[in-house]
Amino acid sequence: MSDPDRTTRHDERAQERGDARRHEALDLIAPPVYALLCVAVLLAPAIAITLSSDRGGMREAADADLVVASAVLGIGLAALSMWRLRSEEIRAVRRADMWIASLDSLVVLMFGATVLPLVVLWGFTDEHATMAQRGYPVVLLWSGVQLAAIVLAEVVGRVVFWWLEPHEQRASSRRRREQAA
Amino acid sequence: MSRLSRRQLIAAGAGAAGAVATGLVLDQYLWPLLDKEDLIPGSPPTVVLEPQAWTDTPDSFRFAVIGDNGSGGRQAMAVAEEMALTYRSTPFGFVSLLGDISYYGSFKKRFHDVFREPMGPLIDAGVDFELAIGNHDTALNHSDASIEAIEEELRLLGTPGRYYKVTHGPADFFYLDSSVPGLFGPGSSEQRNWLDDELAGSTNQWKIVALHHPLYSSGRHGPTFGARQQLEPILVRRKVDLVLAGHDHDYERIKPQRGVNYVVSGGGCKTTPVGRSRYTAMSASILHFLVIDVQGDRLTGRCVRADGAVVDRFTLRAREGR
Repeated sequence: MSDPDRTTRHDERAQERGDARRHEALDLIAPPVYALLCVAVLLAPAIAITLSSDRGGMREAADADLVVASAVLGIGLAALSMWRLRSEEIRAVRRADMWIASLDSLVVLMFGATVLPLVVLWGFTDEHATMAQRGYPVVLLWSGVQLAAIVLAEVVGRVVFWWLEPHEQRASSRRRREQAA
Repeated sequence: MSRLSRRQLIAAGAGAAGAVATGLVLDQYLWPLLDKEDLIPGSPPTVVLEPQAWTDTPDSFRFAVIGDNGSGGRQAMAVAEEMALTYRSTPFGFVSLLGDISYYGSFKKRFHDVFREPMGPLIDAGVDFELAIGNHDTALNHSDASIEAIEEELRLLGTPGRYYKVTHGPADFFYLDSSVPGLFGPGSSEQRNWLDDELAGSTNQWKIVALHHPLYSSGRHGPTFGARQQLEPILVRRKVDLVLAGHDHDYERIKPQRGVNYVVSGGGCKTTPVGRSRYTAMSASILHFLVIDVQGDRLTGRCVRADGAVVDRFTLRAREGR
């Protein structure tokens, strides 16, 4: 006859090993997928502009500088977001916090990477036209605005992660409230 | 599975809702906006052209046509540069502007960015510009301020009036104001009567009408039925040869309608999709301008894309019975 306690402990250990393997696989796959999503989101507006000018019959690669600028920023963002995810993975008390914060950050990036360039380009057309006519490289403006979107998204991701994670201070204040009750 | 905390629910809910809403807004509005506008500022053409290189005779002349070119962006600059390069090989004496020469602000404020800079090489070469007023050259509601804005635009371009006639060699050009007060507001019969009288009195070989709103179009805006209703009887009765229009950001050549030829040329800086209708001879959503040669009773037009490729050619014979 088998010992029922021993069987249960054996099952628990097997389940823990299974969970750990699943987490390891997720840790390996999810950060690069997330980084790729960030790159795609950043590249989308530049690609929309390039497709439009290509379709219209502009000379080849007329807007390639915007795509290259977004791609360079995208590579930087990919590295940054993977580093952030790995660092949060180590610090996170609850893994879900990390992914919820990353989702929020990605949404802000989606919105910002397109809306910020639109607002800046449409709102200050005269200023940009004057600068472009003086030889000011438009690609710098594009990069600057997309960089602002990246910073905004990163800030949101980090703040949401911090807000979600349980802190010692919060835990002790909760304990005090419970004791008082 | 562990239960989510209240904060996690709020953040995850906001993230999911935000992702759906942002995806929809991007897909439906913002990416199409980036696609159809010309917001990236462009560098003006630096081509230097020989002044007054064209040779007009009493029987022949050449001109260029461009519509909806008022962004001052990269695409506008590319089309303007190609126009300058075309002038170098086949010089033309004037440009018919089919309206909407200033987007994203008033023409007075943007004169330099949307006109002087892109058209600089042609202006310096002494090429003339003749304008048919477009809806973006003013506000749609036509307040006193917008009338003033139009008049300022006309003054800056040296255009004689909101509608006027110009003669070049064997052709009479009739530039119309197809805006709301021009064609549809109180006193609009004045312009129609003027057109009817002038066309009746025109004894030149060619009668060419230029206006902003197309009478026939398969583009995003489509045909302007009101303008068709007001003008087509006059154009047919007075045997107009060619009607040039913009407004839709594409190129479309229409099969002759009741004897009148129509061309839509509104791809001076932006493009929007164009389909085909029963009256379409050729259509393309491209950045372009036209170059038209008139030699006696023969008119040859070509549609030149921003990269210099000729995408359409057409030939007309002046109508008989004059």
